[in-house]
Amino acid sequence: MRYFEDVRLGETDVVGSHTMTEAEILAFARKYDPQPFHTDPEAARASLFGGLIASGWHTCAIMMRLSVEAMRREAAASAGSPGVDSCRWLKPVRPGDTLTLRREVLETWPSRSRPIGFVKSRVEMVNQRGETALSLVGITMLHRRPEAPA
Amino acid sequence: MSDPVYFEDVRIGHVERFGRYEVTKEEIVEYARQFDPQPFHLDEAAATESLFGGLIASGWHTGAMLIRMIADHFAVRNATSGAVGFDDLRWVQPVRPGDVLSAETTFVDKTESRSRRAIGTVRVATRVLNQRDEPVMTLTSLVLFQRRSGA
Repeated sequence: MRYFEDVRLGETDVVGSHTMTEAEILAFARKYDPQPFHTDPEAARASLFGGLIASGWHTCAIMMRLSVEAMRREAAASAGSPGVDSCRWLKPVRPGDTLTLRREVLETWPSRSRPIGFVKSRVEMVNQRGETALSLVGITMLHRRPEAPA
Repeated sequence: MSDPVYFEDVRIGHVERFGRYEVTKEEIVEYARQFDPQPFHLDEAAATESLFGGLIASGWHTGAMLIRMIADHFAVRNATSGAVGFDDLRWVQPVRPGDVLSAETTFVDKTESRSRRAIGTVRVATRVLNQRDEPVMTLTSLVLFQRRSGA
């Protein structure tokens, strides 16, 4: 199990990657973000973006999926998240783009009231051309390592 | 339908309340299976044992439900071209099956783009509220508005 005590300040890793298909971009957008530049390839060509792009909330969802898979591999003692300090959708995400999730630990502090600790990380989704499409600073909570029995 | 609100028309301090999103157990589990497969989003029994005391929606699912209400109500009244991102997002309270969500937006300030004459950025204080008018998620959205003069 990976507990709060196991997190190292400044540690970086490449967490995983995912290739976005047109079908999944359309499916997410039709359910949650039905704006023409996310749901209609024809209308998207005439928009500011010059073609179909994924909803920013879809890119965040894929980021979460990759993070959860990593937490499983590490057996992280996850206790959820209080929020996100900042999130920027820096480049459009288009069908066929492969996004790789990178993570860097910026700050850690223990809770004063509960047996958990907070980890602030910079999380980036980088495309196949090396451009950062999504950059966010988020906070996650991890359980503290239980005291060893005396 | 009346003219959409362009960047020039945005009145700082203007508040709007809109949307109605009924949260179902089925949708919480469906979103979680696809994007956030943690036990407290997937499995009622496991969720009852967790810190949260019952099944709760993924925070990113609450974000997705917010953008649905924005797309259906806010984006059709305002001449928007998507968003740059957001700041200070907090998941204030769990969202549970049976909750009914709505959204509230307040225009905070606006900045003309230096590089693109056709658009400007408006900071929008955004809250998702439940049926008891309690905020469940709060954030400051950075929304791109089209400019009348840039059209």
